[in-house]
Amino acid sequence: MKSSGHIIWLTIGLVIFLGLQPGIIYAKAVKDTRGICLECHSKKAEELTNKAAVHQPVKDGKCTWCHNPHASKHAGLLSYTGSDLCYNCHDQKKGFMGKVVHKPVEEGNCLSCHDAHSSDIMGLLKKAGGEGCFSCHPKESIINKKNVHPEVKNGRCIVCHNPHSSDREGLLIKDKKSLCAGCHPGTGEVFAKAHLGYKVSGTDCLGCHSPHSSDKKGMMKASLHKPFEDNKCSSCHPVGSASVIKSGISLCTECHEAVLAGFNKINSHFFIGGGADNLCNNCHNPHASDEKYLLKDKEARVCYECHNDTKEYVAKSNHKHPKLGICSDCHTSHGSNSQFFLTKGNDTCAMENCHSTQGKFTHPIGEKIIDPRSKTPMNCSTCHNPMGSPEKAVLRFEKDRELCEQCHQM
Amino acid sequence: MRYKMGIKNQKFLLFLLCSVFCILPFATTAFSGDKGGVRTVAVITGDEIMGRLKQPSGLFFDEIKKRLYIADSGNGRLVSFDSEFKYMAELTNEAMTLPSSLVRNKEGHFFILDRGKGEIVFIDLEKKVVKSFPLSGVSSAKEQFVPGRMAIDADNRLYIIDKLNRRLIIVEQTGAFVREVTVKDKGFFGFTDVRVDDKGEIYAIDAIAGVVYIFDDKGGIVSRFGSRENKKDNFRFPTSLAVDKNGLIYIMDQHAGRILVFDKKGVFQHAVSRPGVKEGELSYPSYIFIDKEGRIYTIDGNRIQVFQEEKG
Repeated sequence: MKSSGHIIWLTIGLVIFLGLQPGIIYAKAVKDTRGICLECHSKKAEELTNKAAVHQPVKDGKCTWCHNPHASKHAGLLSYTGSDLCYNCHDQKKGFMGKVVHKPVEEGNCLSCHDAHSSDIMGLLKKAGGEGCFSCHPKESIINKKNVHPEVKNGRCIVCHNPHSSDREGLLIKDKKSLCAGCHPGTGEVFAKAHLGYKVSGTDCLGCHSPHSSDKKGMMKASLHKPFEDNKCSSCHPVGSASVIKSGISLCTECHEAVLAGFNKINSHFFIGGGADNLCNNCHNPHASDEKYLLKDKEARVCYECHNDTKEYVAKSNHKHPKLGICSDCHTSHGSNSQFFLTKGNDTCAMENCHSTQGKFTHPIGEKIIDPRSKTPMNCSTCHNPMGSPEKAVLRFEKDRELCEQCHQM
Repeated sequence: MRYKMGIKNQKFLLFLLCSVFCILPFATTAFSGDKGGVRTVAVITGDEIMGRLKQPSGLFFDEIKKRLYIADSGNGRLVSFDSEFKYMAELTNEAMTLPSSLVRNKEGHFFILDRGKGEIVFIDLEKKVVKSFPLSGVSSAKEQFVPGRMAIDADNRLYIIDKLNRRLIIVEQTGAFVREVTVKDKGFFGFTDVRVDDKGEIYAIDAIAGVVYIFDDKGGIVSRFGSRENKKDNFRFPTSLAVDKNGLIYIMDQHAGRILVFDKKGVFQHAVSRPGVKEGELSYPSYIFIDKEGRIYTIDGNRIQVFQEEKG
């Protein structure tokens, strides 16, 4: 009697447990419903199955793996919405949860690239090869130079990038130091001659070469450091060695001495932040770059390397200042006598081509207008937070009342 | 159809309202300046006599003379205040361009980090001497010496951040090198601020890594804690630190707009203030100092605030 009671409770528990796994259990329990569904959807079925690649449930006629035949709160009578539906069969842990996740995957929007039923392209892709990628990543911005990497030209983006997720920046399938070596082993006379006898195997090729397209010979990046461009490697390196002739920033300041003065400010980036042995290499590439000032990456990426909390703040803000990716529009990168390294202190917002008329017809600001809360002069950032805000116009408070009430009793 | 509230529901609503009104006063005081165990003693932004502070970036309370000195960097001057924080005088000198971190030794001499020159300036007011502070015998370094913030111990030794060489150097007041303090960790980026307590224990912070280090008087690591990973109770951008007489460590988290208090083992104790611009709040604070009486001095923007924690 007692043991049968246990069996009943165990059965109830099992039923509840299985009930909590609807996607898996329900999907595996479904039968071939093709006969029933096709009574009405026969035309659709023909259209869906008559392609090179057909999604397995469609092929097996198991429409109810994804669709609820009776009712659903989701469009298309789907059992779940977005990637939640797909992850019932395609394990999210296998390839979709790397440190860097492709935006559509992150947003659960699998159907932005894949067709749920069938496709003439393998992988149930909606568009062939790179065409799918180029629909979000404009072709003009990637293949816009004279010399194009053959794999890019052929739209074979996945030779280097993982379309779902990766543990590496840029969704790269391998780390930068070994990615290129898969096709370019870095041996042979031609290779050695091109690199002037310097041993470059095992280094980051993308430090000098553009992986997509370039106007320069050898797919070099757009801007080259003068000694590098002139093949005067010995200006910085002993002949044939990757080491440098001087340690630290003195290697750079011997030529760029005037730059040092820019660091001698109240707020200074004279700091070994990025962890490079030479401070300058935290932000700059000493050889080549596609960015201005030989920056080692896109400007915001360089800054966010240390200011990662700012990156997170900006990302989660509903309203943000446009062009936040170009930090140097408002901030100086070496040093500043203004708070937040602002280019022109409190006048930064009013710079030419920006908000030159602001402050002239709006709420008074300036040295003589004192914020009663802080007892300090008001400026644009008293009311606005240009890095982002939940409020429109990047206001710090709700505009109709709360913002004004900070200072004006109503 | 009108909904008629049952007796049980009415009682529950009454209980809920009472609970809210009982909890509310405690909830608001937990973070506020004046009411939350922290009293605002003074707010200094400037006035018609002294002018407005402009980018102050360092301050020091002289326990012997009971005076507060502020490095008013943007105005290129030092300003002094009495024990009640009334303005006393200013000091300017051609040899001092952008004064920042400052300390004063027992003899009353100032050591000031001049960011404009990238060097330390020595000031003897009595003898009217203002000159560069020369260092001697400093151990070899990969990079040139660029000084950062400073601290001073009970024996008048200076602890200076050597920014590019990722270390602290300890020197006598003559400028003679004593030793260096550094960290060999892979994730160590360099020190942003430093303090030393009466026992000679050294406290330093790495703002980029978000790690607080405590060293013994020989430079050995006693403890380390903190991180900038995006998790609860972690730092966002901790730029400054101070230690009170009980050995509690006060961390100024600039981007969080808060002061977080820890014991030496890194166990979180409590938070002081909250982000904002009102009196008692902090807006992107950059610097913190604590005097022997436990008064907390902060710099946020062009404002100095002095707080007193009220225990119990």
